[in-house]
Amino acid sequence: MSRILARVATFAILVLAALAITAPFLWIFRGAFSASDAELYKLPPTFSPDNLTAANFGKVTDQVPYFRFFVNSIIVSTTITAAQIVTCATAGYAFARLRFRGKGMLFAIVIGSLMIPIQVTIVPLFLVMSKLGLTNTLWSLILPGIFSGFGIFLLRQHFLALPYELEEAAKIDGAGHFRTFARVILPLSGPSIATLGILCFTYWWNDLLLPLVMISDTDRQTLPVGLVLLAGRFSTGSLGTIAAGIAMAIVPVLVVFIAAQRYIVQSIASSGLKL
Amino acid sequence: MTQDVVPPAVHGRGKPPRKDGLAALAFLSPAIVTFLVFVLAPTAGVLYLSFYDWNLLSDGTFVGTDNFDRLVHDERLLHVYGSTAYMALAILAVNVVVGLLLAVLLETRMPRWLRGFFRLSFLFPFVVSASAVALIWRFLLNKDLGLVNYVLGVIGLDRIDWLGSSAWAPVSVIVVNSWKTIGFSILVYIAGLQAIPDVLREAAIVDGANAWTRFWRITFPMLSPTIFFLVVINTINSFQIFAEPRVLTQGGPGDASRTIVEYLYDRAFGDFDLGYASAIGITFMLVLIALTAIQFRLSRRWTFYE
Repeated sequence: MSRILARVATFAILVLAALAITAPFLWIFRGAFSASDAELYKLPPTFSPDNLTAANFGKVTDQVPYFRFFVNSIIVSTTITAAQIVTCATAGYAFARLRFRGKGMLFAIVIGSLMIPIQVTIVPLFLVMSKLGLTNTLWSLILPGIFSGFGIFLLRQHFLALPYELEEAAKIDGAGHFRTFARVILPLSGPSIATLGILCFTYWWNDLLLPLVMISDTDRQTLPVGLVLLAGRFSTGSLGTIAAGIAMAIVPVLVVFIAAQRYIVQSIASSGLKL
Repeated sequence: MTQDVVPPAVHGRGKPPRKDGLAALAFLSPAIVTFLVFVLAPTAGVLYLSFYDWNLLSDGTFVGTDNFDRLVHDERLLHVYGSTAYMALAILAVNVVVGLLLAVLLETRMPRWLRGFFRLSFLFPFVVSASAVALIWRFLLNKDLGLVNYVLGVIGLDRIDWLGSSAWAPVSVIVVNSWKTIGFSILVYIAGLQAIPDVLREAAIVDGANAWTRFWRITFPMLSPTIFFLVVINTINSFQIFAEPRVLTQGGPGDASRTIVEYLYDRAFGDFDLGYASAIGITFMLVLIALTAIQFRLSRRWTFYE
């Protein structure tokens, strides 16, 4: 009896949590297709399929250069992600597999860099970018994101967990470090590289601080600031429009995320995140 | 450091001694270059700027420790640190405790697709931009028209001024940020739980240990390195929040939900007081270092590494 009760309680908590976490998204998607704001503000929320419209999406692109924001965000996030994978995978390999002087100290510096987030160094970063004439360009958003102590740590943990045997075989065949890395290690590391990729992509896709500081030209803005701009106009405009803007920003990450989520679980499980 | 310098004689099972120094330099160079340019140099820059009176128009004048004297007497800063710590520690607690609860519950026997569905819904807000999340919640938490207050009304509770009262505004930031970040903590917990060998739990069941005992005697100690990892990472992340208070409450009312990053941002790019903002940045870095050091020290008492 108490076992059944425990099971019921377990599922009740899980369902409630899932509902609390997904309901706001359902509400936004409904809002995006809703024809009138009055209906959106009606409580309890109602839903009738007759009142659906796609007009809100058109209004979003009329009010702000939404596709520019979108393209800018894609460029910034994918470039940082690609660059981070290169810097973190090579450094992670060195820390996991190579013997060299000062390794312990360098790795301590990598972990230490977690305590110097971009929020601390934003002022000099801004000054340097403006001296280089890079403010108001996407470079000012890309360059500061390329180094990631967390990414190096993540991939090192994963490389450490890989069995040595395959590398030994490659070495007997006369492969140097670079070939071992490219032909043996990387092909075995798809899931953890995908994990780093997703964590990195979503972080920079979502970042609000750097674009606020670096970019003043509306056409060069990224989505998070773009949404705030759209919402700023919303206060005099339509709730459906801002909901449509948010929905359009969510769908691409949702797709990528559903496609990759099993890799994330698998890779975090195999890397054993321990400090 | 010394463990890496292996004398040739003991270099290993008959393998010829290898010098990896050059290869290491090659492999590390992208990371080293980007670290020097985008982490170390700006960190030195913050230190340098903190001794200057620097606005955007001129190149600034050396003012010695004036900025730090100002820090000590800045009561607003102290207050902002207080509200930041309040919100950050609450977010940390929700992530570490509620995250663990949900991850453990997810271990219950259930169909694969259902487990997949729960995982997906828990993790989803993590990938959505914080400004989108905050905008959604700005509507949901609206005092008169929001869904949250409506639900409260249905279960017979009073309306709450979520965004406009100094008692509830920080709570809103806590709720919204936890809602967004808890999925990642759950995921890391799931991974940690999967790494616990089944034999341990089975043996405990055979010995007649109940679920409660099994949790405290097996799951918790085996999971302690994971918990510690999450405590460290979530502390660093939650002290950095910026987007949620910015979009939800603009840090208000007053400074009730203002975070240190917002305060730094306003001093630097609102007042163009770059020197003073840099001094604030230094204090922020020191706070993060101190917190992490304390956590590492305390962890020796409660974490268990195999």
